[in-house]
Amino acid sequence: MGDDNFMIKIDSLNKSFGKIKALNNLNLDIKRGELLGIIGPNGAGKTTAIRIISCILKPDSGDILVDGMSIHQEQIKIKSMIGYLPEEPNLYERFKARDLLRYFAELYEVPGEDIDDRIGELLELVDMSHRADDRINTFSKGLRQRIGIARALIHNPHIIIFDEPTMGLDPATSHNIREFIGELKGEKTIILCTHYMDEADALCDRVAVLNQGKIMDIGSPQELKSKIHGDIILNIKLETPDRKAAALIEGFSTVEDVSLSGNQYTISLKSKKDIKEIINAFDGQIISVNTKEPTLEDVFINSFKIR
Amino acid sequence: MKFTTITKWEFKQTLKSRKFLMIFFLQISVLFLMIFIFNAFAANIESEKGISITPSLSGFASLDVDDQGRLFAKYINPELITVSSSSFNDSYKGLNKGETTALVVVPGDSIEKIRNIQPISLQLYLDSADPKQSVVRDEVNTTTKLMAVAISDSWIDSFTPQNSTPAVVNQQNTGESLPMQIVNKAMIAILLFLPLFLFGNMIIDSVVGEKERKTGEILMAMPITPSEIIIGKSMAVVGIITLQVAIWIAILLITGFPILNPLLVFLLVFLTAIPVTGVTVIIAAYAKNYKEAGIGLTFGYIMMVGILMIPTLLYLSNKSLISNISPLTMVIRLFSGGSIPFWQFLIPVGFIFILSIISYWIAIKLFRRDDVVFGPRPGIIRLSLEICGLKRSKR
Repeated sequence: MGDDNFMIKIDSLNKSFGKIKALNNLNLDIKRGELLGIIGPNGAGKTTAIRIISCILKPDSGDILVDGMSIHQEQIKIKSMIGYLPEEPNLYERFKARDLLRYFAELYEVPGEDIDDRIGELLELVDMSHRADDRINTFSKGLRQRIGIARALIHNPHIIIFDEPTMGLDPATSHNIREFIGELKGEKTIILCTHYMDEADALCDRVAVLNQGKIMDIGSPQELKSKIHGDIILNIKLETPDRKAAALIEGFSTVEDVSLSGNQYTISLKSKKDIKEIINAFDGQIISVNTKEPTLEDVFINSFKIR
Repeated sequence: MKFTTITKWEFKQTLKSRKFLMIFFLQISVLFLMIFIFNAFAANIESEKGISITPSLSGFASLDVDDQGRLFAKYINPELITVSSSSFNDSYKGLNKGETTALVVVPGDSIEKIRNIQPISLQLYLDSADPKQSVVRDEVNTTTKLMAVAISDSWIDSFTPQNSTPAVVNQQNTGESLPMQIVNKAMIAILLFLPLFLFGNMIIDSVVGEKERKTGEILMAMPITPSEIIIGKSMAVVGIITLQVAIWIAILLITGFPILNPLLVFLLVFLTAIPVTGVTVIIAAYAKNYKEAGIGLTFGYIMMVGILMIPTLLYLSNKSLISNISPLTMVIRLFSGGSIPFWQFLIPVGFIFILSIISYWIAIKLFRRDDVVFGPRPGIIRLSLEICGLKRSKR
């Protein structure tokens, strides 16, 4: 077995698809029992990274150690430890839910005498017991996602990888799935790829920001938020942009960043100390003013300079 | 051995599918229809009034006759068999060289013996390696009986001189005619190999469907190897084909078609299903979608039919040993009823084995590649060179 602290160690991972470099010397360590979020724009390499961790794809170079085992040598053992839920549940349409879970349980070599109990437990967990004998093609996307989660957990894996688990689901189903992931936290090592910043913020111990196949930043949601935007964000909407005033407020010691989007200035502040003076600097033209604490969405926007 | 799990579930789910069951029984219905049409066709070509649509079979087989009294040669059907007369020694040499299919020796004193109401014995020498020998044997039997009837009638007439009308000889159907023999032996054999090509869509759906529906991603995340996936899925299809072939053989036997050695025939057809599925799975592993797979399947099956048919045609025209590589040839030989040495069975079985190894090896190699399964996929030429080790993979 590997290092006691780390369940997954990614070392100098590279992967290209034709001329496109999906992963560029990626290095990342994931602790045991940690819930790591991976965020990044489309095409950042998130799905490629988790597909390589799941041994679905082979890297061009580099290695991943899962519980001390290399993906180049112990693919079957590593696959047995991982429960993988892709973005689309992609289940066999003509199977009944119970049969589908049984099929995967057999492929994971769950002992025959335990299969029925395990299926019952998981169907209960995802609240699908009443639809156990219905065919998958009669299920909505949300129900399929629930069965997908049950399938990923059928062999009681040590590591669970969720790729956009709430993508395209209604708010109630998304909420249930988030709650469910939250319940697994601490018990399992979890990787969560998501586009929903509030999801990453609420669930993850650490968040890695991935872009162009590289980790741009990594830390707890709080660390990332404070690192990029300071503690407070002040939004001031004007009738017309006032560049003179903007230049003036950049001189305040508490101002970390000023950005303009349309007629609205977004000002990152280290503290509340100069708020009154800043508002006064835009004298007379103000339509609205509000303050908020930074979110991961602000981190995301700031990281990729979407202004 | 996790491939057995895949085989079991694929097989089970296929048999549960209403669409599949409908197709399966539709195919059996088509077989029944073919038998009905076949019988009608056979009755037509057997009938004197019927119009034969078979090509001319003149000179199909050759027969040397050592018959000094020209008794036998008078009654044989010259449209089917080329009859030549020569001495016993020359004919026997020709038979050993494969220049003629059979030799009939009619005793020189046969006319004398007939006049004295004594039996005569005809000797028939057959080239057992020649597929046409069974046709000639039946034709000789028919001619002998025809000859006997004519002689008997003529002998009876000699006692009743008032009856001046010449003896009318009616041919009796004591055996199958030559066209029927060809139809029976070759056509039934081909019919038995037909189910091998009817289930290509199943393996395409099973493998290409994984790519199109993106379920392959989950399957690849399972603790199983690509070879187990390919073998598991293929064996399910081989199982379905085997079931269909068994049903077809049973139907043909029940409806009175002569299938000699049905178990050996079944075994050969079953074994042939393995490389046919192997070639299909190569196409499925490479194809990006159903459309591509359909085009590939057409080419693949033309190739496979060629592999089966060309040696068989070679065998029918020129009994060379190499023609035995096709299991279809061996099935036709089994139908002909001649004795086949055991080692000759090893030729098609060995060929099937080699073809299976090659086809599954290629299919597994393809399915192991990320670029083939998830894209972007390299071109066929580049891929072929990489698989053969003639070009280094870019991956």
